[in-house]
Amino acid sequence: MSKKVRWRVLLILLVVVGTVAGYVVTGYQHAKKEWIGAGNPPLSLALKKGIKLGLDLRGGIHLVLQVNTADALKAERDDAIETLRNQAREKSFTLGDFEMTAPNAFAVNVSAQTDTTKLEEAVKRFLGDWTYNVVGGKWVFQLKETARRAAEENAVSQAIETIRNRVDEFGVAEPLIAREGVDRILVQLPGVDDPKRVKDLIKNTAFLELKLVESGPSDRTALLAASGGQVPPTLDLVEAKAEAGQRQDLYYLVRKSAVITGRDLKNARPSRTGQFGQMGVTFFLTAGGAEKFASATGANVGKQLAIILDNRVQSAPRINERISDQGVIQGSFTAEEANDLALVLRAGALPAGLTYLEERTVGPSLGADSIRNGITASVVGALLVFVAVVVYYRRAGWNAVIALLLNAILLAGAMALLGSTLTLPGIAGFILTIGMAVDSNVLIFERIREELRGGRAPKTAIENGFAKAFATIIDTHITIVISAIFLFQFGTGPVKGFAVTLVIGLLISVFTAVFVSHTIFDLEYGRRAHIDTVSI
Amino acid sequence: MELFRQTNIDFLRWKWWAIGASWLLILIGFFGIFVQKGLKFGIDFAGGTQIALRFAEKPDIERLRKLLDATNLGDTGIQRYEDVSKNEVLIRVQQQKKEGRDVTQDVLTALRTGLTTGSDPSRVDLNVQGRDALTGRLLAADPDHLAGGSGENPADHYARAAERIIARRTQLGIFRSPADVEGTPDVSQAVRDWVKANTNAGPFVVLSAENVGPQVGADLQKKALWAVALSTLGMLVYIAIRFRSLPFGVGAVIATLHDILITVGLLALLQREFNLVVVAALLTLVGYSVNDTVVVYDRIRENQRTPKKEPLESVINRSINQTLSRTVLTSGATMLVVLALFVLGGEVLNTFALTLIIGIITGTYSSIYVASPVVVIWKNFVDKRRAKRVPVKVVPPPPAEPTLPKAAPAAAEAAPRQKKKKNRR
Repeated sequence: MSKKVRWRVLLILLVVVGTVAGYVVTGYQHAKKEWIGAGNPPLSLALKKGIKLGLDLRGGIHLVLQVNTADALKAERDDAIETLRNQAREKSFTLGDFEMTAPNAFAVNVSAQTDTTKLEEAVKRFLGDWTYNVVGGKWVFQLKETARRAAEENAVSQAIETIRNRVDEFGVAEPLIAREGVDRILVQLPGVDDPKRVKDLIKNTAFLELKLVESGPSDRTALLAASGGQVPPTLDLVEAKAEAGQRQDLYYLVRKSAVITGRDLKNARPSRTGQFGQMGVTFFLTAGGAEKFASATGANVGKQLAIILDNRVQSAPRINERISDQGVIQGSFTAEEANDLALVLRAGALPAGLTYLEERTVGPSLGADSIRNGITASVVGALLVFVAVVVYYRRAGWNAVIALLLNAILLAGAMALLGSTLTLPGIAGFILTIGMAVDSNVLIFERIREELRGGRAPKTAIENGFAKAFATIIDTHITIVISAIFLFQFGTGPVKGFAVTLVIGLLISVFTAVFVSHTIFDLEYGRRAHIDTVSI
Repeated sequence: MELFRQTNIDFLRWKWWAIGASWLLILIGFFGIFVQKGLKFGIDFAGGTQIALRFAEKPDIERLRKLLDATNLGDTGIQRYEDVSKNEVLIRVQQQKKEGRDVTQDVLTALRTGLTTGSDPSRVDLNVQGRDALTGRLLAADPDHLAGGSGENPADHYARAAERIIARRTQLGIFRSPADVEGTPDVSQAVRDWVKANTNAGPFVVLSAENVGPQVGADLQKKALWAVALSTLGMLVYIAIRFRSLPFGVGAVIATLHDILITVGLLALLQREFNLVVVAALLTLVGYSVNDTVVVYDRIRENQRTPKKEPLESVINRSINQTLSRTVLTSGATMLVVLALFVLGGEVLNTFALTLIIGIITGTYSSIYVASPVVVIWKNFVDKRRAKRVPVKVVPPPPAEPTLPKAAPAAAEAAPRQKKKKNRR
């Protein structure tokens, strides 16, 4: 064995041992997370857990949600309107009706009595994010582009944060929560198999407000009769949550400003609260929230306090005494619902509504079936290729088989080490790589045969064969990598897993076909000074 | 073993026949698309809902259809998977016009209530509900009497028990009755007894449920088109640079488009569904087809470097013959693995494998009969035009080429080629 060949063998061994060790170590790390018995997980488990499996193989839920950013803009708009109304009251100028023309635009009617200088002053001082035009008797306001973008941006990142909190509280191992595009959020929860519950949990806006009740519960017309059919400016009309067996269309008139909101919560937990031991949720307030709550309840003993969740009155208990730091949300909850409500209250409210754009659930049985099918197909396919190559190229065929086996081992190791995810199409990519990696060997062997036919000495033929095939091998690999790169734009789905597997596999196949295969030839024929024939 | 020992087939002689045959296949494909009234898009692209269920017993499709119709979800379809013995069924529901309905839940509830009679609906359905729900019920019932004890955390204990019971379901495929819980390892007898007495084993297991909204579908369609277009363009640029020749790049791209058109057309004709996985297969096919073409091109370039003067057609013919053995062998090997996938890979990978089977055949064919003829036809066309122009511009033949012993028209034909050669390293 010449020195050069010795180094090459050493390098190959190093790469193989390194990758295999990397695979086993990664496998142990993954296995440890799941291992519940005593001591270390067994090697067999570690070998199974080396490569991360995609949702389509291990089961789980894949969700794409859209943040309704218009909600965030509406909140900005409502704030602006509220500010103008307050200013009008404080600085005593009159304003006409407001018209809400778009989520990020509104108009106010200005009459002859309106003191426009005062209005302008208020706008300049408080509505810096808005531009306005005077059109006829109207001032038309539009949210500035930068402010609009900031509000939307905020809503999305806050929604991601909230969803992350909720998922963490729910206790999912290795969740993926990521932004996709401008206003979309991707949520992947491996192993979760109760889609309805998780979806409700994530989508629940969980906006909690406690407001003092002016009148109610009653039906709409009765409540508004006193104010001439209009909702008074300082009050809100809120629908009551319909309980089973109760009247459907009950409303409350409540004060517009909330005593406390979900932001004042410190903690929440499910508890048995009703007279008959029904489930409810007990919440605890922060110091600041407790102070506000204490003064409001102290001043309003005897009145009703509406507990409003997502714009529905859950219950409206009477205030019997000053309460400071805790309260109870009652309703006919099941234990699970109470649990989940407490969870979302702890995790915080969503800044905007969410819509499900895409939802894919894979049950554990399907994943198991897919793995079984995929592995069978891979083994059978690989064996067929091995047989074909050995029959066709005889001894050189075994070189190809070794190169291909190494290719498979290195690919598995590389995927474990890089932490890339194997999906069902990824398995197809795996097996396809084997089919295509054969191509490099075939190119080389055919070249060697040609050189032999051309009358070259076996050693020269081998050297020439490798040298001449090299450029072609690089070309063929680059072309497939180029086409695989365009698969990445499909995001995180199974198809991306396919692209990852294919690209890694092809890179490795350059190494195994060119470097490893060449070294094996050198090992076989290199030590002899002269060889007469090559088995190819 | 050798299949092809120094063949010498005049491939290009049949080029016009081949072009005719290609067009015929493409037209058949278009006819297929036309007959099916467009491609049959899967829910990835069309949007809608798709639910795969496994039943304990052979499902009564007519009954399922009636139950589905009662849900008022519009156009629905039920389809048995190919392997009838597995009792698996695929349900599709069209894209809903009104938002807000949880189609999956509606379908599952309708089927479950319609198919189970006489059992208490408030019980946990072992086949539909997951680990979390079962954990909750076990925790509430506490059959192992852990509450208040100082031992392990009851929540963890029952979560583990539930996990094992669900794993048992995965192993069995489906619980036929709660009594199947008996075989679950590492779960206390008390838990097993509680499960047997207090749960139901519903009629089906949900294998997968997918719901894709209209925006996502439209997005993916656009993305898929762009991916195929850009990767083809990427190939054109790579080959044009690598071979420093536009005709080669164009030849490879035409060959690739040829393969895509034929494959898509045949898929339509075979009524296969178009989804993301098929697009992945198409992109792989783009890579594969160009790969095949590049091997032939590489050989053409190499053969052109020899000082011997040889007409392009004969260089190409020689190159195709020299690489023929490799072409057939590689295609054969790839075909073997793809066939294994087609037969054994399961439902999801079936169309993927079929796409590649068609693609490998057309890809191999096109690298011989599309990519190279395009180069020949292009160059012949350009040469003819030059040959027409040259005598007009430079009569008599330029003295700059006195070494050429041939007559003027031949020189005019040879001149541009020699000029090209200088550009070509």
